[in-house]
Amino acid sequence: MFNSLKKKLKSWVKKNEEEVIVETKKKEKATKSAKKIKKKTEKKTETKKEKLKQSPDETIEAPLEKKEFFVKFKKRLTEEKFEELFEELQIILLQNNVAYSAVDSIKETLAEKLIGKTLKEVDLSDELKNSIESILINPPSFLKEIRDSLEVKKPFVILFSGINGSGKTTTIAKMTNYLQKNKLSVCLAAADTFRAAAIQQLEEHANKLKVPIIKKDYGSDPASVGFEAITYAKKNKIDVVLIDTAGRMQNKDSLMKEIEKIAKVTKPDMKIFLGESITGNDATEQAKSFNESIGLTGIILSKADVDEKGGTAISVSHVTGKPILFLGTGQEYKDLEVFDKKKIVEKLGL
Amino acid sequence: MVLDKLGSALKGGITKISNAIFIDKKLIDGIVKDIQKSLIEADVNIELVFALSQKIKKLAYDETIKGIDKKEQLVKLIHDEINLLLGEKKELKLPKKASIMFLGLYGVGKTTTIAKLGLYYSKRGRKVALLGLDTQRPAAMDQLEQMAEKAKLPAFIDKKEKDPIKIIKQHEKELKDYDLVLIDTAGRDGLNKELIKEIEKLNKKLKPDFRILVMSADIGQTAKTQADEFQKALSIDGVIITRMDGTSKAGGALTACAETKAPVFFIGVGEQIHEIETFNPETFIQRLLGMGDLASLLEHVKSATDEKQQQRIEDRMKEGKFTLLDLYGQLEQMNKMGSMDKMLGMIPGMSAAKLPKDVLAKQEGKMKHWKNAISSMTEEEIENPEILEKQTSRIKRIAHGSGTTTTEIRELLKQYKMIKEMMGMQSGLAEGKIDQKMMQKMARKMKGKVRI
Repeated sequence: MFNSLKKKLKSWVKKNEEEVIVETKKKEKATKSAKKIKKKTEKKTETKKEKLKQSPDETIEAPLEKKEFFVKFKKRLTEEKFEELFEELQIILLQNNVAYSAVDSIKETLAEKLIGKTLKEVDLSDELKNSIESILINPPSFLKEIRDSLEVKKPFVILFSGINGSGKTTTIAKMTNYLQKNKLSVCLAAADTFRAAAIQQLEEHANKLKVPIIKKDYGSDPASVGFEAITYAKKNKIDVVLIDTAGRMQNKDSLMKEIEKIAKVTKPDMKIFLGESITGNDATEQAKSFNESIGLTGIILSKADVDEKGGTAISVSHVTGKPILFLGTGQEYKDLEVFDKKKIVEKLGL
Repeated sequence: MVLDKLGSALKGGITKISNAIFIDKKLIDGIVKDIQKSLIEADVNIELVFALSQKIKKLAYDETIKGIDKKEQLVKLIHDEINLLLGEKKELKLPKKASIMFLGLYGVGKTTTIAKLGLYYSKRGRKVALLGLDTQRPAAMDQLEQMAEKAKLPAFIDKKEKDPIKIIKQHEKELKDYDLVLIDTAGRDGLNKELIKEIEKLNKKLKPDFRILVMSADIGQTAKTQADEFQKALSIDGVIITRMDGTSKAGGALTACAETKAPVFFIGVGEQIHEIETFNPETFIQRLLGMGDLASLLEHVKSATDEKQQQRIEDRMKEGKFTLLDLYGQLEQMNKMGSMDKMLGMIPGMSAAKLPKDVLAKQEGKMKHWKNAISSMTEEEIENPEILEKQTSRIKRIAHGSGTTTTEIRELLKQYKMIKEMMGMQSGLAEGKIDQKMMQKMARKMKGKVRI
C-alpha cells in the first residue's frame, strides 16, 4: 500500500544526505588549506563571518578558500533552506494522497526539530520517521479490549459509521469472520434501513457466516434496530453486536443527528468510522465530522488494495488523533488486516 | 459543493494582479502559492497543479512583456488553464435507441446513479429498462430491483446466476423493446487486470453505445490512475460524478476527466432518486472566478489600471524622483478603486501584508486627510517634501489650511519617505543592484510601520 511513497521518500532522504556529504567533503578540503593559517586569524574570521551574513558587500581580508571553509563548517539549516528542502518532500506526500493539513503538520514538526541545526547533526530519515510516527497511532489490541470488556459485561457493541459507499456492510462481514475465527460469537444489527437492499446485503452475509441478524422494515428507526439486537444478544449470550448504519454525508445535519441518536440509544463500546483509502483531502473533513458528532474510538480504512498510495491513513489519524484499527484489502472475508504502525513506517523504508 | 476557498484564492490572485503596479516576484510567488494550495486541497492532480504554477511564473517573469499586457496575459492564462482543467461542456446525445454500460470502483454509486438516470430519461419520454449484471456484491440485484421500483422502471435481473454473460442472453430479446437500456456492472478496481479483462469481455458482448465511468467526488490523487486505466481498457465516453453534495471539491475527479478527455455528463447531488443534474463547467468556472467570460475579466484588469499614471510613476522612478505629487497620484488611484485592501496590493512588497479590517477602515480615513493636506501644499513643497521636515511653520500652515493636524502631516511625510525608499529599491532591483533578500527585509520593516 505504501510502496510508492516509500520509494520516493527513500530517494529524497538519500539525495539530501548526499548533499550533506558533498558539503562535508568540501569542508575537509578546506580544512587542509586552512591548516597553514594561524589560530588567531581563525578566530578573527569567525566573528567576521557573522558580519558577513548581514552585509554581503563588506569585503573580508581572509583568503577566499578560508572564508568558504567557515561558512560550510558552521552551516546551519536556515528557514529558507528548510523550506526549499521540504518543498520536494511536500510534493511526494501530497502525491501520495496525504491531506494538505497533515502535510502542514509534518512540516511544522520537522521545522521545529531541524531549523538551526548544523547539517551534519541532521538525520533526515530519522526525523521524518519520527514525525510520521507521531501522527500515526498504534491501535490498542482489538481482541484484548473486547475480551477484557466481556469479563465485565456482555455484549460488546460496535457501531459502524461513514459516508455512502465506504464499505460498512462489507467490512462488518469481514469483521464477523475475524471475530468468529477468534472464538467470539457475533450478531448483526441491520440498522441501515434507508439504502435499497442494504438489509438484504447484510442478510446474505449473515447467512453465509451463519450468524443471527436483527432487522426491521425499511424506513424504521435505526436506533431501535440496534437496541433490539443488543437485547437479543443479552438474552442469547452473544459476545459482540455489530451495528450497520446507513451511509451519510458528513454535512447533512439531520443525518448526523440521526447517528448521534443511534449512538445515544445503543451506547456502543466502540465507535468506528469507515473511511476509504482512495479519498483525497475530504477524508479529513469526513473523519473530523464523525468524530465531533459521535466521538470515534477508531478508524477502518477500506479499499486499501485499490491504490498504492497510503496517505489517507496519515490524514485521518492526524485530524482525529484516533488509531486506525484495520485495513480492508480485498473482496474476500479474510481481507481485513490489523493495522500496524510499525509495519507501515518500516514499509516506508524509514 | 464548497468552492469558496478555491474561488477566493483564484479571485484574490486575479484581483492582486489587476491592481498591482509592479508584477514582482514576491507578488507572483504569493499568488501562485495560494492557488496551488487551494487546488491541492480540492484534490487536483499534483502534476497538473505544478505545471500550472510553472506556466504562471514563466509568463510573470518574462521581461519582454510589460505593464498591462502582462496583466492581461496573466489573467487570461489563469482563466484558460482553469477552463482546461475542468474540460468542455458536452451533452450526452442519445440516439433513438441506445444502451449505456456503467462501470467504476466499488461503492461509488453506480446502482443508485442508474436508477436516477433511468428516471431522468423516462421523464423525458424514453422507454427505459435497467439491466443488472453485478453478480459479485451480495444483494446488488435486490438493490437495483428496489431502486427500479422507486423509479417505476422495469429491472432485468437474476439473483442466482453468477455469469453476467448468461444474464445478458436471458434478456436479450425483451430488451429490444426498450429505447434506452442502462446496464449495471460490479464495482472494480481499474488496476486489477482480471476485473478489467472481465469488463472488456462484457463490453465486447454487449456492444453498448456508451460506456460511462462513475466516480465519486471525494476521490483523491488516485483519480487520474483510475480514469486512465478505464480509458485505456474501454475508451470511456463520459463520466458521472457522484456525492457532489458533500464537502469535497471534486477537483480530483473533474480534472482527471478533463485530462483523459472524458466529458462529465451528470453529477449526483443527493440521496433521493431525482437528485441528478447535468454538469456545466461554465457555471462552475463562473462560481470559481466570480466572472464567467474572459472579456469581463480583462475589462476588470483594464479598469483597475491607469496606464498613463503608471507610466509616469515608472518613469519617475527611473529618474530616481518621487514627489508627493506621485504619492498623491497613487492616493487618487486608490480612492478610485475604493479600499485599502487593494492599495496594499499596489505597494510593492506589501501585497502579502494582512491587516485586520478595522485597521483598514481607519487607514482609509487617514488617507483622505493626507490627500487634503497635499492639496494645501505649494508646488515646491510637493516636489521637495524634504523642506517641510525642517520648517515647522510650513507644516502648521498646511495643517491649518487642510483641516488636518501636524501629526498627520508628519506621518504622511514618514510614509512618503518610506515609499520613496522602497521605490529606489525597486529600480535598483530592476538594475540588479539590490537582491530579493533586502527587498523582503524592507517589506517587513514597512509592514511594521504601517500598522497604526
